[in-house]
Amino acid sequence: MSSELKGLGVGLTAAVGTVHVVAPAQPLPAWGKSTIGAQAEAVRLKAAIGAVAANLDELGARSDSTTAEIFEALKMLLEDDELFETAEGFLEEGSDAAGAIGQAVNTFAELLGGDPDFDARVDDLQDLSRRVQANLAGISVGLELPQTGQLVLVGEDFSPADTAQFTPAVVGVITRAGGPTSHTAIICRARSIAAVVSVAEAGSLINGTSVLVDPVGDRVVVGGSLSDATKPLEFAETDGATLIPVRANIGTASDAVTAAATRANGVGLFRTELLYLSANTAPSVEQQAASYAEVLAAAPAGPIVVRTIDAGSDKPVPFLNMPHEENPSLGVRGFRLIVEHRQFIVDQLTSLEAARKSTGREVWVMAPMIATVAEAAEFAELARSIGEFKVGIMIETPAISMQVDSLAGVVDFVSIGTNDLSQYLFAADRMNPALGALLNPWQPGLIRMLAKIGTDGAAAGVSVGVCGESASDPAFAVVLAGLGITSVSASPSQVNVVSNALASVTAEQAKAVAQAALSGTDAASAKAAALAALAATR
Amino acid sequence: MATFTSEVEVLDPIGMHARPAGQIVKLVKESGVEVLFIREGEETKANSALRLMAMKVKTGEKFTVSVTTDDEALANNLFAQIQEFLKG
Repeated sequence: MSSELKGLGVGLTAAVGTVHVVAPAQPLPAWGKSTIGAQAEAVRLKAAIGAVAANLDELGARSDSTTAEIFEALKMLLEDDELFETAEGFLEEGSDAAGAIGQAVNTFAELLGGDPDFDARVDDLQDLSRRVQANLAGISVGLELPQTGQLVLVGEDFSPADTAQFTPAVVGVITRAGGPTSHTAIICRARSIAAVVSVAEAGSLINGTSVLVDPVGDRVVVGGSLSDATKPLEFAETDGATLIPVRANIGTASDAVTAAATRANGVGLFRTELLYLSANTAPSVEQQAASYAEVLAAAPAGPIVVRTIDAGSDKPVPFLNMPHEENPSLGVRGFRLIVEHRQFIVDQLTSLEAARKSTGREVWVMAPMIATVAEAAEFAELARSIGEFKVGIMIETPAISMQVDSLAGVVDFVSIGTNDLSQYLFAADRMNPALGALLNPWQPGLIRMLAKIGTDGAAAGVSVGVCGESASDPAFAVVLAGLGITSVSASPSQVNVVSNALASVTAEQAKAVAQAALSGTDAASAKAAALAALAATR
Repeated sequence: MATFTSEVEVLDPIGMHARPAGQIVKLVKESGVEVLFIREGEETKANSALRLMAMKVKTGEKFTVSVTTDDEALANNLFAQIQEFLKG
């Protein structure tokens, strides 16, 4: 007897394995008074700190260099001389080892508190404190996975520290929370680990049971075998014309090279933040122009759509000194930075114009985080006064989605960022693992909004592209074409498969698939109806 | 033993945060000499990154570094490297 649990699939690979439930962290025992004396407690504490430090070393050795640096920094905090001396002070007062490290960390947390620059470090310190206390109590906080076997991990959601501990035995992952853009989903997609997230009934899975993780079918089948896995819709390999242009999303010169090896028709989203996020001082116009020229020269043939800086207090640019905000995704970000940092945006556009001239490429520029027609007009006027660009805006806010008709004559094009549009439309934080199901692009609320934008854009003579994650799904790309979207932009790795899909349908067929998607009353039925309509075209 | 002092300025845009503090402590420990950071008469031993972070020195602020050693070249070398770490 097999039973089926529904969720959101990640990637196209299915896997069968044995359920390995990762239990939520056990509560730590309460702090107490020492019964063995300060000196013996100090020896225990030193050993526990040593064990946690050794574990951090081990995690670092298994990680890429960026993550390894994080573990190295954590180890430095953990082995701090003063932290241990402060803990010894609490031991002298009669605390046990767990109480001493807990209170010592609290002491420093208080010293560092109230300063937004140190918020993340205080969280790190408290996490280290919990790890040391867990070691003292003999409670496991690591995943401790075997190296061999065929495991399907089942848990609430997995943090970067968890995924760093995945061994080659992990063939599948099932989470109760988390959405299609969660850390778990991104890591599993990158490592081709079969995953289904947002599985409400994940808690019913029992250790040792064999399960099929079937991401294409958005489900987990208890007792299922690989032959039960849903086949992805396959589109014949073709280099025929696509119904609408398929462009590539890039962030660096090396992405541009990768994209140029695909069938991408230009670049639909060039994210420019990477040039600035690690810079401590503003790069000069000459430096920026040189960096942009390198990317433009390497990009696939066709127009290159450049998004001006999309920074905010959660993605801060060091030299812009952005103040801490309670709700960074609703704060001063994207084009809103122009109020305080107009010159910075002027310099960016000036650099792009220089790079456009030196490479002879067709450059379109667009501003992110636009909420009103006045903002769109301000950006368009500024961009046109600086260079010979086609000018547009990102559509991420519900407010501007309702005013696309008023953009006639104001901008040349719009590009929909479906990840952020979902976040703002559903009032669902992209970073909150509990809200993943709301960020599913097949949600009828989003599909209807996209339909409205497509229709209003056509009437206004404004071309409408989509550059969010959703355009990397070949079936969804067909829906987008049918909704009147005039171009899509996908990750370079997905450009060819999306192109195959868009070369295999006519405009009439795409419209039928879009109509089917619009008939759904929830994400699952919208997707099922669209896939059935798509299958019927073949 | 002699004591040498020098003024340094924090240029790092996020102040004296975890990374420079860690680099400084590592350097001080390797040098084997006593290094104090003095600001407004308050002395902090530069052997703990947490203590240095807790000074909450922000961008543009200056403080005095004091090194107790008979080796003036070593002291000057420490001043230069500490200033370098605080450039961000």
